[in-house]
Amino acid sequence: MKSIPRLIRRFISIMLLSSVLLIILNFALLVIYTISQIPNSYPWMTAEEVADNLSQNNNQYVLSEDTALKLENSNAWAVFIDNETKQVVWKTENLPETVPVSYSVSDIASLTRGYIDGYPTFTGEAENGLVVLGYPRDSFWKHMWPSWDYNLIANLLKTVLSVLAINIALIFIIYVIANSKLLKSVKPIVSGIQSLPTKEAVSIKEKGLLSELAVSINKTSEILQSQNRQLRKKETARANWIAGVSHDIRTPLSMVMGYAGQLENDRRLPEDVCKKAAVIVKQSERMRNLINDLNLASKLEYNMQPVSPTKQNLIAVIRQVVVDFINMDIDDRHPIEWKTDEALTVCPASIDKDLMKRAVSNLVQNCINHNERGCHIFIGVMVEESNCIIVVDDDGIGVTEEQVEKLNHSPHYMVCDENTLEQRHGLGLLIVKQIMAAHGGTVNIGHSSYGGFSVKLILPIQE
Amino acid sequence: MRFDYLKQKRILLVDDEQELLDMVVSILNEEGFQNIKTAKTVTQAITISETYCPEFAILDVMLPDGSGFSLMERLKSTSDYPVLFLTARGEDDDKFRGFGLGADDYMVKPFLPKELLFRVNAILRRSYKDENPLVKLPDSEIDFDRAEVIKNGKHISLTAKEHAILAALYRNAGRIVTIDALCEAAWGDNPFGYENSLMAHIRRIREKIEVNPSQPVSLITIKGLGYKLIVEGR
Repeated sequence: MKSIPRLIRRFISIMLLSSVLLIILNFALLVIYTISQIPNSYPWMTAEEVADNLSQNNNQYVLSEDTALKLENSNAWAVFIDNETKQVVWKTENLPETVPVSYSVSDIASLTRGYIDGYPTFTGEAENGLVVLGYPRDSFWKHMWPSWDYNLIANLLKTVLSVLAINIALIFIIYVIANSKLLKSVKPIVSGIQSLPTKEAVSIKEKGLLSELAVSINKTSEILQSQNRQLRKKETARANWIAGVSHDIRTPLSMVMGYAGQLENDRRLPEDVCKKAAVIVKQSERMRNLINDLNLASKLEYNMQPVSPTKQNLIAVIRQVVVDFINMDIDDRHPIEWKTDEALTVCPASIDKDLMKRAVSNLVQNCINHNERGCHIFIGVMVEESNCIIVVDDDGIGVTEEQVEKLNHSPHYMVCDENTLEQRHGLGLLIVKQIMAAHGGTVNIGHSSYGGFSVKLILPIQE
Repeated sequence: MRFDYLKQKRILLVDDEQELLDMVVSILNEEGFQNIKTAKTVTQAITISETYCPEFAILDVMLPDGSGFSLMERLKSTSDYPVLFLTARGEDDDKFRGFGLGADDYMVKPFLPKELLFRVNAILRRSYKDENPLVKLPDSEIDFDRAEVIKNGKHISLTAKEHAILAALYRNAGRIVTIDALCEAAWGDNPFGYENSLMAHIRRIREKIEVNPSQPVSLITIKGLGYKLIVEGR
């Protein structure tokens, strides 16, 4: 569930970033707009211009032609109010009729701040009076009470910043509350999806914002579960079938082995008969190994073989295998030599003792099976870096480079989903590989320094 | 034969297959076991055991009227004697169950006569060793009961560790016992790193049982692997 906090972090950072960006953008727009509005001061300047360019000639006021043209172009009218009489002494021709021609002081104060009959007015001071310019209605909006508390302006920056901060905090709170609700409904969905690959059954409450998703995930989990059950059922059936067949063969084979074993050692019988009995014994032993191997291989393949690793001294375990082979009194054509450094007495590894014994026994049995004319078998345990390595070597017929490659890398026919016409080998090495895989170890097949076949089993040391 | 007394033991053999019973009887007969009774069902086995009082039983696990495990419990409730399971079921669970209930050994079919005989002899030797207090070695005799060695008429006592090591070797007389198995016999379940102590004990045992400890004939070293006890009559 590491993704949820990451998601929250991402949401919040996107939100903060977008708020800050919005504010910057708005400021920029405001600045640009304000700058573009600076020409708005032109009515005041025009009023000043008119005042400057209005000259008195024989008690007649005359406006210069340029200025008159300018007024005409902007549809503005103008009057000149005399300081003493407060009467309009000059006016443009387009003066609307509703505009009064005589003013009191309060009228002048009012028109300076605001409007005359809806016309926005601007004043310019002349020598003996006041020039008043009137622009068409709705061409300007005038701020009639342009004064603020001094402190407000003095603290404007602080005020703006704190208002912004409060805004951001408010947005943040609203966002967190809104999102936490969303995340709350996302959380079970995320954990459900995460548990799907673990093959666990997933059941999410099918309500809230994302109930449809929850329904789909539950359905998917059900399908996966039922597929797993089917697969498991098939695998169990196959492994049970193999177990059943091998069980049923065991009792008849006991009879074959038992009587052949007795005949082999019966001194009353002629030598050639004893030899024939020995062949039967040997072949039935092969059959027995095959049954055991087949059963174990299928169980390991379908994960039906319990593997219970405990900390063991690998040297002791392997030594027992070697001694068991020597004690079994096999013919002296396959002498076994123990090749472990005497100073190395302990090599701790986490292993299932019985399975590891089985793996090494299989390797020794392999040496015996493939070298009918006899060979020396060399078994040793060594430590390299953080690994225990079991080496089973022989000086027998060995294998070609091509076979080494195949043994190391091609899947065994029993676990291969393609038909193969190649010669089928025993299950010995497959089991060794399966057992090592179950222990997190590796198998390395190659040529022995003694001239024959060599297998290295590599397992991590457990401190 | 030093182990003749073991051949007189009363053996009960239970399996539902007549041919297998016949074969095992013939293997045991050939080895010299004389007192063998067979049964094909749990009921028969219980009836026979009441009058026959077996001293050793070889049981199949799957019988027509019950399991060999429960049969063993019934048999052992009246008299405690060693039991060997001989079965076609090779599952690990079955083995653990058998051992958990107190079976002495567990053999999976098919088997060679010599494998069966080795196990039967080993179980009987272990279970009835007190009846044969003197174990004869080439140079001396061991009296496990009194924990002493008799060499040239002299009685030399064994320490507890020496006794444990010799007993483990004697149970597997004639076969190699690994260094680790001997350490386990002497020091228990976690025998890491006792090899040097074991060597010291072996040296002392040799001084007691061998005429010439530097050239041992009874307690042989198998380099790197373990030791072997040579018992006369084996």
